[in-house]
Amino acid sequence: MVETGIPKLDDFLGGGIPVGKSLVYYNQPGIEGEIFGLQTIYSNLKSGGTGVFVVSSTMPDLVKSQFKEFGWDIELYNDKLFFVDAYNPLIGAPSNEKYVVSQPDNIEGFNKIITDLIKELPPSTIVFGSLSTIMDLCGEKETIEAVKTWNKMAMLYDHVIIYNFTAWPYSQETLDLIKNDLFNAVISIGGIAERVIFGQYFGILKSDWTEETKKSMLFRVLRPGGIKLYIPKILVTGAFDAGKSTFVHALSTRAISVDRLGTTIALDHGHIDYKGFSADIFGTPGQERFDPIIKLLSGESMGVFLVVDSTNPADFVRAKHMLEITKAYGLPYIIVANKQDVSGALTPEEIKEQFNMPEDVTVVPVVAKDKIGVFEAFEVLIDKITGGT
Amino acid sequence: MSDTIDMVDKLLADLKNIGGVEACAAASRDGLLIRAVMQKELYLESLVAMSATILGASETATTQVQKGVPNRVIVETDYGKLIIVGAGPKALLIVLASQDTGLGLILLELQKSAMKLKELLK
Ligand SMILES: Nc1nc2c(ncn2[C@@H]2O[C@H](COP(=O)(O)OP(=O)(O)O)[C@@H](O)[C@H]2O)c(=O)[nH]1
Ligand SMILES: [Mg+2]
Repeated sequence: MVETGIPKLDDFLGGGIPVGKSLVYYNQPGIEGEIFGLQTIYSNLKSGGTGVFVVSSTMPDLVKSQFKEFGWDIELYNDKLFFVDAYNPLIGAPSNEKYVVSQPDNIEGFNKIITDLIKELPPSTIVFGSLSTIMDLCGEKETIEAVKTWNKMAMLYDHVIIYNFTAWPYSQETLDLIKNDLFNAVISIGGIAERVIFGQYFGILKSDWTEETKKSMLFRVLRPGGIKLYIPKILVTGAFDAGKSTFVHALSTRAISVDRLGTTIALDHGHIDYKGFSADIFGTPGQERFDPIIKLLSGESMGVFLVVDSTNPADFVRAKHMLEITKAYGLPYIIVANKQDVSGALTPEEIKEQFNMPEDVTVVPVVAKDKIGVFEAFEVLIDKITGGT
Repeated sequence: MSDTIDMVDKLLADLKNIGGVEACAAASRDGLLIRAVMQKELYLESLVAMSATILGASETATTQVQKGVPNRVIVETDYGKLIIVGAGPKALLIVLASQDTGLGLILLELQKSAMKLKELLK
């Protein structure tokens, strides 16, 4: 298995890409899709693999500096990373790379270099930086025939072969072939403008070695950092004094609160970067007089932490009501059983019973003031939001 | 789809071009950043969440005393100005302006932009 290095995608693919398989990152124009190939190569280098990057649309040196921008030091892997330069000859510039395609607009020449390296190199991860550019230069039909050969040879020689493809207006026949037939797996990468969520997502269109998942994930590209799964809003709610603000701050990489006299009057807002996820967290006030703005600010949440003070069962009724106000029923949510350090705190099981909650609701024991259990809670909720593994 | 994003970007770029405007952003009523244009890299997510809270709280306050909804909220500090305007039921616009800037032109343009944003997100 070769990991894509894209958070969650490897889970969706059952661990990664099996040796011998081909995969295409199918990008809508205008989306930052090229980085997918880079991230996959880098993740392989890091785990000891060999990588080949076929550069068609820019100078290899520029690609190298892109790796740097993401904070990925490829110099450490000089003997494990090979570039195929199919760009410099096009503009008449000299090339320093080991593999050079002297006529990038001639598929025969291209084919020779690729098949040579497929035979020559140990099992590697071969990434084509831009299949669309090769098509533009060599022709759609010609390129497709070559790709068929490359995929078969890669299978024979135990490589993993990956293409970045941008879906410019090629013939429908070509687009259909790419989406349906040519590759073992197709990851679609696109933009959405749904209601007020404007962003980029990826999802699996096809994968012939796993069961189908229809899940798609929002992502962001951070420099440095690379692809992070993006969750624009997770709500933290619950009764007054349950520890919501403390929880938001314990979880967040950075956070701010609007507190007066020790209680939140507007909103806690935090940002968390954790295990490939980038999420923004909104913490509501607890008292009833703030209900109108709570309603207003809870829209578009993707999941909810319901924080309760484990020593104060009297609050559970209000907590349940908060779930209603925030329209959280129907969203993934978990109960954060806070203040587990205080003697007399109810256990998660007791809380579940007293709450009269559905059987499948998870209650996570937490001591927010000491940051105990907060990341466990985050992982449980994220798993629910992303459909588990 | 991405066309809408391009149009929102164009609208924000126009706003940003007005003298004295340091940053502007389109956001959802529930506090999520849609798009932004700014001079310096600022971490805008918190500003946006707080701005939505400010506008929401203002609207709640004035409607409860039968004074209608505010046309805008202006926050002035010694160092600059923050202006928040509703743009239809889904969105709002946020402008950060420098302290010494007069608000006349900005408010006028902001009103127009808010109308446009409302239409774009319909
Ligand atoms: N013993 C204990 N106290 C906590 C814990 N978390 C929060 N608190 C305290 O509970 C009080 C309320 O916390 P706060 O986060 O402001 O609650 P909020 O009203 O829900 O936002 C504060 O005095 C906190 O210090 C915890 O895990 N254990
Ligand atoms: Mg609070």
